[in-house]
Amino acid sequence: MVDQTSSPPKVRTDEALKTDRLTRTLDHFRREWQIYAMLLPTIIWFVVFLYKPMYGLQIAFKDYSIFRGVQGSPWIGLEHFQTLFANDSFIRAVRNTITISFYNLLFGFPAPIILALMFNEILHATYKRTAQTIVYLPHFISSVIIAGIVITAFSPTVGVINTVLGWLGMDSIYFLTQPEWFRPIFVGTGIWQEAGFGSIVFLAAIAGVNPSLYESAVVDGANRWQMMWKITIPSILPTILIMLIIRIGNVMEVSFELVILLYQPATYETADVVNTWVYRQGLQSGQYDLAAAAGLFNAVVAFVLVMTANTLSRRFSRTSLW
Amino acid sequence: MLNWNLYSRGDKFFAIVVSVMIGMFTAATLYPFIYIAAVSFSSGFAAQAGKVVLPPIDATLEAYGYIIGDPKFWISYRNTFIYTIGGTLMSLAFIIPGAYALSRPQLKGRRFFNLFIAFTMWFNAGLIPFFLNMRDLNLLDSMFGIILAFAVNAFNIILLRNFFEAIPRSFEEAARMDGANDFQVLWKVFIPLSKPAIATITLFCIVSRWNGFFWAMVLLQSEDKIPLQVFLRHTIATLSDNDEFAIVQTDAGFSAETVTAAIIVCSIIPVLIVYPFIQKYFEKGILLGGVKE
Amino acid sequence: MAGVSLRSIIKRYGALQVVHGIDLEVAEQEFVVLVGPSGCGKSTTLRMIAGLEDISEGELSIDGRFMNRVAPKDRDVAMVFQNYALYPHLNVADNMAFGLRIRRMPKDQIATTISETAEILGLTDYLDRRPADLSGGQRQRVAMGRAIVRHPKVFLFDEPLSNLDAKLRTQMRAEIKRLHNRLGVTSIYVTHDQVEAMTLADRIVVMNDGRIEQVGTPMELFNNPVNTFVAGFLGSPPMNQVKGVLTETGARIGGMDVSLNGAINGHAGRDVIVGIRPEHVMLEPGDATSSLPIELDLVEPLGSEALLHARFGQDNMVFKADTNGEIAHLSGVKQVHVPADLIKLFDAETGRALELGA
Repeated sequence: MVDQTSSPPKVRTDEALKTDRLTRTLDHFRREWQIYAMLLPTIIWFVVFLYKPMYGLQIAFKDYSIFRGVQGSPWIGLEHFQTLFANDSFIRAVRNTITISFYNLLFGFPAPIILALMFNEILHATYKRTAQTIVYLPHFISSVIIAGIVITAFSPTVGVINTVLGWLGMDSIYFLTQPEWFRPIFVGTGIWQEAGFGSIVFLAAIAGVNPSLYESAVVDGANRWQMMWKITIPSILPTILIMLIIRIGNVMEVSFELVILLYQPATYETADVVNTWVYRQGLQSGQYDLAAAAGLFNAVVAFVLVMTANTLSRRFSRTSLW
Repeated sequence: MLNWNLYSRGDKFFAIVVSVMIGMFTAATLYPFIYIAAVSFSSGFAAQAGKVVLPPIDATLEAYGYIIGDPKFWISYRNTFIYTIGGTLMSLAFIIPGAYALSRPQLKGRRFFNLFIAFTMWFNAGLIPFFLNMRDLNLLDSMFGIILAFAVNAFNIILLRNFFEAIPRSFEEAARMDGANDFQVLWKVFIPLSKPAIATITLFCIVSRWNGFFWAMVLLQSEDKIPLQVFLRHTIATLSDNDEFAIVQTDAGFSAETVTAAIIVCSIIPVLIVYPFIQKYFEKGILLGGVKE
Repeated sequence: MAGVSLRSIIKRYGALQVVHGIDLEVAEQEFVVLVGPSGCGKSTTLRMIAGLEDISEGELSIDGRFMNRVAPKDRDVAMVFQNYALYPHLNVADNMAFGLRIRRMPKDQIATTISETAEILGLTDYLDRRPADLSGGQRQRVAMGRAIVRHPKVFLFDEPLSNLDAKLRTQMRAEIKRLHNRLGVTSIYVTHDQVEAMTLADRIVVMNDGRIEQVGTPMELFNNPVNTFVAGFLGSPPMNQVKGVLTETGARIGGMDVSLNGAINGHAGRDVIVGIRPEHVMLEPGDATSSLPIELDLVEPLGSEALLHARFGQDNMVFKADTNGEIAHLSGVKQVHVPADLIKLFDAETGRALELGA
């Protein structure tokens, strides 16, 4: 017969507990060393290629010279940051980054949602499938090719855009040298490239809506337009919110590869963003320390935004598809 | 639910309007590709005159003839294959064991390691320190440097880790009781069970390697090491910076524009070949990657 | 001898203790079933024996060897999992051969072992099928086959039948029993199903809340449960438990006196729980029976017998009776009879069984 009341815990000395814990830890590593061996290369890779550069960021506070190296260069405090904020072209790059991101958000964010809602209304499966296959495609095309296409299409001589303008009796425009045309072309290209692919997330959210909601709406006599506004959109609202928050968190991340490929000195005024500024100052002009300071500024702002966005989206994510 | 016969007249009208709009957007997506192909098959003179809108004008293969005869094109094409295949294999060699280890509950410090990796998605040292680091590591102008330095990223590891975590614990336990060690569990059980996720990651790697351009441009100086995208960039730069080139070539039946277009077509074709295989996986893939951290 | 011995086994997760000191000796060739409600620690105990969970305190030995710090693969035990854990990318033969290949058994030896085992389990025709193409029962057999081919010292079963439907479960239960009779390997089997426990076990270990309530053969536990928990857990339907009080001559329940087998010896007035198994109730009076007036409110015919749901005073009771006598037509107030020697008594406060003096 077993006693129902719990037996008093055995008295164990701290010493015994400590050796016990030690043998357990040793046992653990003896038995599980393989997973640590598997993890090691990845950790080393992260240290060497991502964390070591973070250590190298200290040159933002140093008078860096190649010969003295990261550690040997003397500290100069916040001098580079003072230089930066007194520099008109840097201030302009910050402003351009935010402006371009804002346009990307304003026009680029709704596009995939609208596209997903429209895909949801298409009954013909093959038609839908084919259209989806095509609109996802540009996402997989490199920015060099995208830029090549844009440069060709907008070229004053070859370009089809100017050909069409010619048909309409207008003079041809050398689009890529005009500061006022850079942003529309850049944002438009972004929508062309990413709207289709971006719709996948929203289509998945729409697929997760309980079908009986639509069935009861049909019974209640609702039409498709009403169902879209009364059922589909409210149901995917959490996803929309999360994606919006993530987008806002990435405001500093303008795809600068494409900017480098499309801009030229004539359009720096509207096109130059922080990362392209860093690229020019650092990698082309060799002002590593100043450029690193600009990069650090960008990274810190981005980090704060992303972390805020993460916290916010986590709050919403309980109701979302993730 | 969606039954055309049960649609009201208004619903049918709505559906038709939407179908037409989708059709227009799809056509608009496709058009630039067709346009570029048309330019590449047109004569340099017709292209220069801005005559190409949809079909090729004065159809010719001279632009292709020109690039085929350019050894730099072939070298860069070969290099792209080396970067794509070598880089993808390198990525898998890091990511698969790393993700497996991170997915194991018995890993001590698991939370720390996961944070250690996820942190790099949120904070990045930036271009300059990365570049200087590559220089310190003596990896400038090195093909191996390109392959190694872009092998891993946090997103792919987390994606695969999430997939591994979803595999029931008993698969690992059964294999362990059968005498398997972790390497055997991973190789004989987890990898076969994760084929879709590994395929997704492989395809992500292939696409990003094939398209990779910026760092190849910055880090590689030797012409015999650059990939196709950088070669294409050089050609485009010549095109936009130096109009003389275009004029000189006009007589030859091709121009800088048609040559650029031809390189673009050659560069897209492999993507189009792989694309149907990718499509099977990426829709699931991006949703998998969206989970936690 | 390949026995398994657990001494004061404790399992803690951080500060939370879930197994509070298990003592158990499993003899060679014995079939022991750990049974209890979910969360009682039975699976944790099994996993500690397998080596899948660390033992926080206590000693485990298998075949006389101290096992606490031995890796699962070196314990020479095999386990059948609840979800079978069959590798979907391997066919039946490869699934069974998995462990043998890892242990580098020669190829021809693997082939003979697999074909012998497939023969035993009736899987010969399915060896090249993938698990997805098998029925639930066949998958279950493959899972057992994978354990058998290794010729382990001990089989561990973790609720192996709970993913099957009722009919298959009965069938597979019999197969496991036959297999054990044939192979004679020491087996430890975890289930929450008391019927499985009763039918399979040489000995049953009833667990509750991280502790062992009682260990014994199925009939010992059925006939002499040590407390109300065991009494209520084993048997279907479970033992009726009615609050009562001891008198000079017997016990008084629901205003009726029942006679007991044994002397009260001055315990009169003590609060008790009177346990009456549904099977022990008779419709006709016999030797040394007490009659109880009950009010039938529902009869559930089961074929050869029927369940009678009745009200007795404040309590609900369930009886089992043969259907020979057209029970379906019974209704209203009836007299039923309980033999004095089959009535169980438990302390009302502690729930522990009470033995009356001779």
